[in-house]
Amino acid sequence: MKPHRWTTGRVAAQSLLYAVLTVLAVVYILPFLIQIATAFKTDPDAASNPISLVPNPFSLAAIDKLFTNSDFPLWFMNSVIITVFVTLGRVLFDSLAGYALARLHFRGRNVIFAGLVAVMAVPNVVLLIPKFLVLNTLSIYDSYVGMIVPLMADAAGVFIMKGFFESIPVAVEEAARIDGAGTLRLFWSVVLPMAQPALITIIILSFQGSWNELAHFIVAAQNPALTPLTKGVATLASGSLGSGTQYPLKLAAALIMTLPVAAMFFVFQRRIMNQSEGAVKE
Amino acid sequence: MTTVATRRTDGVRRGSIRKGETASSWLFTAPVLVLLGLFLVIPILMALWVSFSDWGGRGSPFSAGVNFVGLKNYEAITSGGGLAEQNFGQSLRNNLWYVVLVVPIQTVVALVLASLVNNQRLKGRGFFRTAFYFPSVTSSVAITVLWLFLFNTTGAINKVLSWLGVHGPNWFNDPQGVLHAILGAFGVTSGPGALVSHGFLGVSWWDWLAGPSWAMSALILLAVFTTSGTFMLLFLAALQNLSGDLQEAAMVDGATSWERFTRITLPQLRPTLFTVITLGLIGCWQVFDQVYVATDGGPDGTTLTPAFLSYQASLINQDWGQGAAIAFILFVIIIVFTLIQRWVLRERAVSKRRRLNPPPVKVAGLPAGEAER
Amino acid sequence: MSRSLTRTVLMGAVAASAALALAGCGSGFGSSNDTGNGGSGSTSKLTSSNDPLTVLIGSSGDAETNAVKSAVASWSSSSGTKATVIPANNLDQQLAQGFAAKKPADVFYLSTGSLPGYAANGSLLAYGDQLPSDLKNDFYPSLVKNFTYDGKFYCAPKDVSTLQLIINTDKWKAAGLTDADYPKTWDDLATVAKKLTSGGTTGLVVSGQYERLGAFMVQAGGNLTNADNTKVTADSAANVKALSYAQSLLKAGSMKFAADVGAGWGGEAFGKGLGAMTIEGNWISGSMQSDYPNVHYKVVPLPEGPKGKGTLQFTNCWGIAADSPNQKAALKLVEQLTSKEDQLQFSKAFGVMPSIQSAASDWKQEFPEYTPFLDATDYAEGVPTLKNVAPVITDLDGKIAQLKTTDPKTILDSAQSNLQALLK
Repeated sequence: MKPHRWTTGRVAAQSLLYAVLTVLAVVYILPFLIQIATAFKTDPDAASNPISLVPNPFSLAAIDKLFTNSDFPLWFMNSVIITVFVTLGRVLFDSLAGYALARLHFRGRNVIFAGLVAVMAVPNVVLLIPKFLVLNTLSIYDSYVGMIVPLMADAAGVFIMKGFFESIPVAVEEAARIDGAGTLRLFWSVVLPMAQPALITIIILSFQGSWNELAHFIVAAQNPALTPLTKGVATLASGSLGSGTQYPLKLAAALIMTLPVAAMFFVFQRRIMNQSEGAVKE
Repeated sequence: MTTVATRRTDGVRRGSIRKGETASSWLFTAPVLVLLGLFLVIPILMALWVSFSDWGGRGSPFSAGVNFVGLKNYEAITSGGGLAEQNFGQSLRNNLWYVVLVVPIQTVVALVLASLVNNQRLKGRGFFRTAFYFPSVTSSVAITVLWLFLFNTTGAINKVLSWLGVHGPNWFNDPQGVLHAILGAFGVTSGPGALVSHGFLGVSWWDWLAGPSWAMSALILLAVFTTSGTFMLLFLAALQNLSGDLQEAAMVDGATSWERFTRITLPQLRPTLFTVITLGLIGCWQVFDQVYVATDGGPDGTTLTPAFLSYQASLINQDWGQGAAIAFILFVIIIVFTLIQRWVLRERAVSKRRRLNPPPVKVAGLPAGEAER
Repeated sequence: MSRSLTRTVLMGAVAASAALALAGCGSGFGSSNDTGNGGSGSTSKLTSSNDPLTVLIGSSGDAETNAVKSAVASWSSSSGTKATVIPANNLDQQLAQGFAAKKPADVFYLSTGSLPGYAANGSLLAYGDQLPSDLKNDFYPSLVKNFTYDGKFYCAPKDVSTLQLIINTDKWKAAGLTDADYPKTWDDLATVAKKLTSGGTTGLVVSGQYERLGAFMVQAGGNLTNADNTKVTADSAANVKALSYAQSLLKAGSMKFAADVGAGWGGEAFGKGLGAMTIEGNWISGSMQSDYPNVHYKVVPLPEGPKGKGTLQFTNCWGIAADSPNQKAALKLVEQLTSKEDQLQFSKAFGVMPSIQSAASDWKQEFPEYTPFLDATDYAEGVPTLKNVAPVITDLDGKIAQLKTTDPKTILDSAQSNLQALLK
């Protein structure tokens, strides 16, 4: 491109651009700042100064109540358990199936592929009630198994892995095959380590997906001991911990449940954001 | 790919590898197939049966006491003039307004955001991208709780509006349609008789045209807030993929930046635009979480959606047959949109590069966006 | 918001509907999906085993949960049968899931609204007639009627609640009102509400729903159905008069709905001083004590309407599942939980009123300031108890919330046709 000269018009345009961007950024960020501030407010302060970013007085009552006088820690632990297992399951199953579909030759491959495409079209929400019926028939309703295993079914992840395996050269596998490695060993010790970038994508997705899932947990269990964060905080929102609006309490709960996904987002931020660029520049 | 096997010319050896391949192929795909079969295919068949049965919610729907009742459940929600029909009609109405407003707004917002942060010389573009994308990673439950606070009658939004001299609506408690409210401001409080006395699915045409309620409008803003970032990434990827040559040529020709955008950039973005719109259409028909957390379908049923109504009919009101029937009608609606999407994406599959390397943005963003709704 | 409203309603001892023998309605059950363990209606044989019991409750908060837990624990230690109390996140949904899974809680809170549906599909054990007769005859007859479906007395009422007028005494005095000014008539109420309205305070703030304004209907001589739930009377002139009266208060600005002042329910608006009066049930005592201990208030009877005294009454029962493997123990537990001692204990813990007549005098002695609530059991009327009535009431509540700008007749006509559909 040609070098641009800095005319007055251009400076004005630039300033306008930054002004617009700044306003937009404020609109997108302010709600979260308000959330953080409100989590440390008292109930009356939150009600009368809903916008103020400075809690006055500063109060840890909401956080304290969450951790000492509610099931919040239990919900958190359940979410962690579920997320870890769902993620492990998806990483393994998606990469296995993705590899088979990308590299191995067998009859029925096309049928399976077509089936996966069809399955991806099924909206999750529609399955809410029937999923409950199946869990119930399988006798895994109201258990960790019933909450975790169905979430491991993930056609989209298979596609991601398949796409990845198709994009990397076969040379390494070839070499290993010549050394006489069987398919399973080949997969385990050669293919999987190579797939790390795609696996991280799967991890990000399944972490986010299972941590934020609500509908499935509503139908998969009813025992309070199995309540994960989404379901628990949804209950909080409808006011079961007592009466009153208790916004600081609710917002603190919502805030804490956002922290892990936020942390993951910032850790993998470059990856998530730059993938777009990487993909394009090929 | 077959080169691996064919290069080892020894026929026997090749056969044995093939054999091993078939076995391990099935072994590799089995877990996914079993899971999808159990938790996607069978549930669909089961729900199909329940939607044609009088199962009352006790024990298995396949037990002997459960009868086939034909289309009775479908009839109850689509004709007959009862409350079930009204509720279903209202849920479709609400969701239709949601789709009609969310899809265009989020698409335009995402495109604008992407264009703004695409500039390579922009300082702090990483920051801006992060700011716009961040809402997309939060859970729908957490963000809905925040929304309830912000849109509270005496909350932050109304406070800001009051600075502007506007008396804000009672967001989550006001069932009045936004268009009705606007007409009301001009003194029109009741519709023409033809619209009021005729209707579809138990909802008068006048009410179909009411616009989303204030409560639904808050949810619409929530959807735009949480998904525009995801789609911004999609547009960003596409924008960066555009060839600079055309732009340069146009610049030499003295085209203004607006002309360059509408004549050159926009046509090139068409595939992405289609993707974003169809994905938006599909996702918007699945609103459940926000309704469950924030409104329970209220006020006066104006945030009911088919997905939530299906849940409510089955698990709260014990009308399992009707709940399943609603789910199936919703299924058909979404399938129609999905087919449209497949048909649109088919064009893109022509590009070999894309097929080999599926756009990772989609990977990172989309399911999140879908989950969000 | 409306969720918390719903919960509030549940909290006290709910709204909407209940039993009542509807001829023909129950004919579908009891057929082939009974698995020989007692099943739907057959009450002669109770299941018995060593299985521990689960008790599912829709709790209003920690106070209620802890009280029920300790009552159940003491029964456990004396009977030797283990029992766990589970506070539900969403009682209706969890009950439905339990029944469908054939893994229901053994004992659970059951609202009048949920009874007909579960009775009809055979999920409930109709154990009422197996209660000791001195206990059975001690329940208020109107409550027994609430939990009778298809001629069978299904479950023991666990409590009763009524609505009355709650007055903030500080605001009352500040407005220059005295004890002589407690409203006796609708006109009185309009007058005092107007006097109490000033600045950020509205004279009367109530939850905008049938479960509160229905009290006016009863005072005008109406209600949604007749006492036997055999005839729908939603569009009666009395009901129109009641809602028109409420509408006049709304239009005058001396009454507002809780949602419109930014509160989840009447009690919250009252506690926060947004309203000087509210119409709530006896459950309000618990939240006043824990959330608004500094607000001074007094409970007085609601004013009389054109047809004299009137208010609404709500109740819940202790349901026992037909699929429970240990019904014998469950029945024993329920007997204990409905005993005078336990019920009075619950009253102290979270403000409910006993469902048995013999506990009335003790209760009044214990809570003299709340006697208007208990006195009202003589004249209070229940809410409709038809199968599938819940969505109809939800729909009606949604419309009542818009009463200020909607014609009462329109609201009631639609309720009439929706309720009529349930009778068929």
